[in-house]
Amino acid sequence: MSEAIRFLAPRQDVLSRRAAIVADLADLLPIECLVQDARGLAPFETDAFVSYRRVPLAVALPETTAQVAAVLKYCHRFNVPVVPRGAGTSLSGGAIPQEDAVVLCLSKMARILELDYANRTATLQAGVTNLRISEAAAIDGFFYAPDPSSQLACTIGGNIGMNSGGAHCLKYGVTTNNLLGVKMVLVDGTVIELGGKHLDAAGYDLLGLVCGSEGQLGVVTEATVRLIAKPEGARPVLFGFDTCEQAGACVTDIIASGIIPVAIEFMDKPAIEICEAFAKAGYPLDVGALLIVEVEGSEAEMDAVLDSIVEIAGRHAVKTVRQCQSPTEAALIWKGRKSAFGATGRIADYICMDGTVPLGKLSHVLNRTAEIVESYGLRVANVFHAGDGNMHPLILFNANDPEDAARAEAAGNDILKLCVDVGGCLTGEHGVGIEKRDLMRHQYSAIDLAQQMAVRAAFDEKWLLNPSKVFPLDGRT
Amino acid sequence: MQTSFTPEQLEDPQVAESEKILRRCVHCGFCTATCPTYVTLGNELDSPRGRIYLIKEMLENGRPADEETVTHIDRCLSCLACVTTCPSGVDYMHLVDHARVHIENTYRRPLSERLIRSLLANILPYPARFRVALQLARLGRPLAAVFAKVPALAPLAAMLRLAPAKQRGSSTFHPEPEPGSRTGPKTGRVAILTGCAQSVLDPGINAATRRLLARFGVDVVAPPSGEGCCGALVHHMGREEEALGFARRNIDAWIGEIDGAGLDAILVTTSGCGTTLKDYGHMLRLDPLYADKAARVSALAKDITEYLSTLDLPVLESRRLSVAYHSACSLQHGQKITTLPKLLLKAAGFTVRDPAEGHLCCGSAGTYNILQPEISAQLKARKVANIEATRADVIAAGNLGCITQIATGTKIPILHTVELLDWAYGGPKPAGLDSLRGKDKAGPVAAAKI
Amino acid sequence: MLIPTSETDAAYIIRNAAAEGKALALCGGATRAGFGNFGQPAEIFSARGLRGILDYDPAEMVMTARAGTPLAEIEAALSGNRQMLAFEPMDHRGIMGTSGEPTIGGVFAANVSGPRRFVAGAARDSLLGVRFVNGKGEAVKAGGRVMKNVTGLDLVKLLAGSFGTLGFLTEVTFRLLPQPPAVETLVVSGLDDAAAAQAMAAAMALPVEVSGAAHLPLTVRHRFVNGGLPEGAATVLRLEGLSASVEVRAQKLAAVMAAFGPVERLVPEQSLLLWRQIRDVAPYADGTTRPLWRVSMAPSAGHQLVAALRLEAGVDAFYDWQGGLVWMRMEADAEADLLRRYILALGGGHATLVRAPDAMRSTIGAFQPQPEAVAALSARVRQTMDPAGIFNPGRMGVI
Repeated sequence: MSEAIRFLAPRQDVLSRRAAIVADLADLLPIECLVQDARGLAPFETDAFVSYRRVPLAVALPETTAQVAAVLKYCHRFNVPVVPRGAGTSLSGGAIPQEDAVVLCLSKMARILELDYANRTATLQAGVTNLRISEAAAIDGFFYAPDPSSQLACTIGGNIGMNSGGAHCLKYGVTTNNLLGVKMVLVDGTVIELGGKHLDAAGYDLLGLVCGSEGQLGVVTEATVRLIAKPEGARPVLFGFDTCEQAGACVTDIIASGIIPVAIEFMDKPAIEICEAFAKAGYPLDVGALLIVEVEGSEAEMDAVLDSIVEIAGRHAVKTVRQCQSPTEAALIWKGRKSAFGATGRIADYICMDGTVPLGKLSHVLNRTAEIVESYGLRVANVFHAGDGNMHPLILFNANDPEDAARAEAAGNDILKLCVDVGGCLTGEHGVGIEKRDLMRHQYSAIDLAQQMAVRAAFDEKWLLNPSKVFPLDGRT
Repeated sequence: MQTSFTPEQLEDPQVAESEKILRRCVHCGFCTATCPTYVTLGNELDSPRGRIYLIKEMLENGRPADEETVTHIDRCLSCLACVTTCPSGVDYMHLVDHARVHIENTYRRPLSERLIRSLLANILPYPARFRVALQLARLGRPLAAVFAKVPALAPLAAMLRLAPAKQRGSSTFHPEPEPGSRTGPKTGRVAILTGCAQSVLDPGINAATRRLLARFGVDVVAPPSGEGCCGALVHHMGREEEALGFARRNIDAWIGEIDGAGLDAILVTTSGCGTTLKDYGHMLRLDPLYADKAARVSALAKDITEYLSTLDLPVLESRRLSVAYHSACSLQHGQKITTLPKLLLKAAGFTVRDPAEGHLCCGSAGTYNILQPEISAQLKARKVANIEATRADVIAAGNLGCITQIATGTKIPILHTVELLDWAYGGPKPAGLDSLRGKDKAGPVAAAKI
Repeated sequence: MLIPTSETDAAYIIRNAAAEGKALALCGGATRAGFGNFGQPAEIFSARGLRGILDYDPAEMVMTARAGTPLAEIEAALSGNRQMLAFEPMDHRGIMGTSGEPTIGGVFAANVSGPRRFVAGAARDSLLGVRFVNGKGEAVKAGGRVMKNVTGLDLVKLLAGSFGTLGFLTEVTFRLLPQPPAVETLVVSGLDDAAAAQAMAAAMALPVEVSGAAHLPLTVRHRFVNGGLPEGAATVLRLEGLSASVEVRAQKLAAVMAAFGPVERLVPEQSLLLWRQIRDVAPYADGTTRPLWRVSMAPSAGHQLVAALRLEAGVDAFYDWQGGLVWMRMEADAEADLLRRYILALGGGHATLVRAPDAMRSTIGAFQPQPEAVAALSARVRQTMDPAGIFNPGRMGVI
């Protein structure tokens, strides 16, 4: 286990009161809603950022907003840190607990409360998984747009915490652009509602602030999101190139031409091989880089847009163009792409980066990434949302070799700094979590961070909510 | 995922295998979403990822199983939906098998659990004993309500409720040719697993299989003596030696036939058993005397729909009957057979409907509906609701466990896929379809076209 | 009047004002000066001296401009490259009777949006990054220039729509979209408000990407496109995109809408004018100060609200469905309590008093009062941004 990133030292006064705290929580929750023994707690010690692990004090699995409020009120009163968690799929360690914390896991609150097609909204409990929203609305011709790769498993509550994106955000925006309202519990147990089925905030846009706040401002228990009418048709098309430069330049030109496809996904050779091995989607294996470009609309519209894109790709020496012939084939193409991270686990351990860069810098950053990773003696696979410059280099390493793990982390840090230096940012859609916390100073000045932390403290003066994350540990206000 | 095993621990081939499996897991959590128990209970500990973690801790520390770990592993249905979902290729099946053996060897269950498990392990795999037990169960049925009120006796109540009021179908193997058999050169020579519980509960399934195969010129050999339970039942309870014993007996029974006149396939009509037969090669890989023979048997094991798909059955005129196809977990996840049964049904003229959440287990899962009646009942209700939403006339499934489970929850008739196929290709109309008059253009007309 | 010409100057002015406890009336071009509550008297502190486009690479579809840059300058630069601000910022001069130049900073500070709201978002959805000076005189950067950015708390959203009460914007970076090559507007005639709501819901459920939907009842329809709309109340639906595709979608939409009423199409010039007039609330740019409400609520409840109010007050209204708004002009009293009570009863939302005679403005909160806990939270947030309380004090109510 790597230890380059520090956690806050556990509060000894909380640890020493552990038995009493657990007993009190048992009064607030049904018996099956509290995990307290060491064996049961261990599986909650990490999320999908497995390099770091901390066994929590206890895990609460509330079934109602009232139970969430009761736990928070109690923890606030007795100064016990709380780490909110959905499905635990964070790639930045957003749901990793700390030893003195109660994990508030909303996985039991998984009911779809309302699908309102007249107003194009869905109201959900926070533990509903992302994909279930679209599945539930599909029969009536609607869908929920943000589609993180982990959409099968990740929860809407977690999506709000991380302002999650996905492949189709190029056209439809990320979570914050699709979130209309939340019911949330503040750190002291107060239940508030922000937004609703209407589009605009009544006062300050606190909803916009809460979205992407990584569980530091409160715990969302219900959400109202925007549903969109499903397009008539959608077609992913594969464009194979010899080199990453050609593919990168093609992306820049597509966007510059004024065409905004629904998605432009990029895979380099290692990523293509990994995904093809899992999904057998028919990705070409004789190319150096692959773009999956999805267009949607009527047949006429798709044809027109595709013609333009094919023409642009031709200028970049495209090697293969493959249109998919059936919905099954389209589903496979997306299955392969969306399973890319997990499928990488077949060949090695990995950490997944999430920097975003201006489109014009795409090729440069890809080249530098390769150089950086090579300089550490490691390998990299690239699979990412090219249309909005959101890169996901997967740095491959051996988790059972501590030195290898340290090198991977160092390489990751170098890559993220590069993203900031070319005018981008540390994280596009995975959140800062614990992973990028100490790099925040590279993107923001002390004053910038102080202002963010002051706003954070306005919600949680005692810094009890997910306190080891997002903001560097020193210099906190 | 990082693991920490000592070199000494890794000398044990079982541990070494589990370590390899664990290293593949990247803790992405995708598996949680399709796990029936996680979807029902919402607790990480009742998800594949949680169980993998519990198993990892248990094996790494080489410690005996504890109550918490056992509780959550017992709740696993072994439906293997997680294996289908897992992008990293984690072989959860063999990991949980290993954990179950470890539990069986190191954990002493409470008396009531031991009794019920021993009861199941000593009755179900043995058709003669099972027949007697069923007679008793029918008599004992009224007691179910009483047992259900005592938590330790809930499995008994579940067991009594599952016992069918009367036996479905009947027939044992007749050495003489099936009526309607095609004469002339044979297209294949196969064995059919007789097995255990199915031969008692619904021998009609294998009878339909034999009729159908005979009609297409396939020679079905008589069940060789010694053939019986595949071992899945005890295997899933972690009773490894007993399971291997069943496997060896079956291998011995078939190997003579294979080495003699030869077999093209060993057909299985209960997909739960099929998954196990196909795993004999793995189960006995460390047994120098059996490893090779086991691998040969596994290679020949085929689900009935896999084999039928190779026969090129004629496409029949479509009939007005709609069939909700329930994909048994052992078929779709265990053996990755998803579309073949539906294609066969469509070719036979049925309108096939896919229930929503088809990846979720119905809660039968071998003896699960007896050992975990509460979760099983919730899954059954969910499954039945999804099936009934298709408004199909009849349900088809490839596994007797599912058939028994779902039948207790719905009024829609449920049949084995092969029974519908047999009917469509000229066999008798299956019992239970009498209420569907007018929707079933008769089988014999269709048969005439063959 | 204070008009700094650099961020450093602005910070200096603010530091001094904070030290003296002197209130500042933050603004851009002051075309929305009457928006909100009267607040305390304060010295005008305008960003209009911070002018100029700093970075515009059309290929990246992102622009950075100093906050006081006139909107017209931005739009001229964009249209040269066939790009646009997707959120169609409304021009308030008509309804508020103001003059002057709207600035890009003002647009974001007031989160001004238009009829493309549902598909393209509000101003806040296009705003990627800001620089601002907080109430302590510190220059702060938030967000960035890439579309996806979840690095820390999203102060960008907080600044958008804060009406100059949290910070003095000096620089804004925002996302652009290509101008759609073709626009088509379908008019369904003769529907009452309830039928129109159904028709619009049906249109929105179709896979034709309606990018604007509005219902213009009989009382207002003649005030659009010089009275050029067909007879009867007009339910208007806009389609945008490639011309071939727009045509196909228009035919599909017309076929479905025919079940609701007669369907006609507008010529392109009429179409562009119509949506600009809807955006700018043209019917109520009437040179009066009669109370004008901007109601944000679930679309399906809009006509119920208007129907309920009509029983008790004189009200004229039209519906900008894709903007998620009902615009209401009251004939006499503002009826604030009645209106806000009905909104809550009909599922929630809020009403903002955009215009009213001074006597009414001094007694009615322009922004709908918030529940206690939310108001307290908002006050605490403001405290962290402007501890001395010198930015537009009172303009957004208690905060």
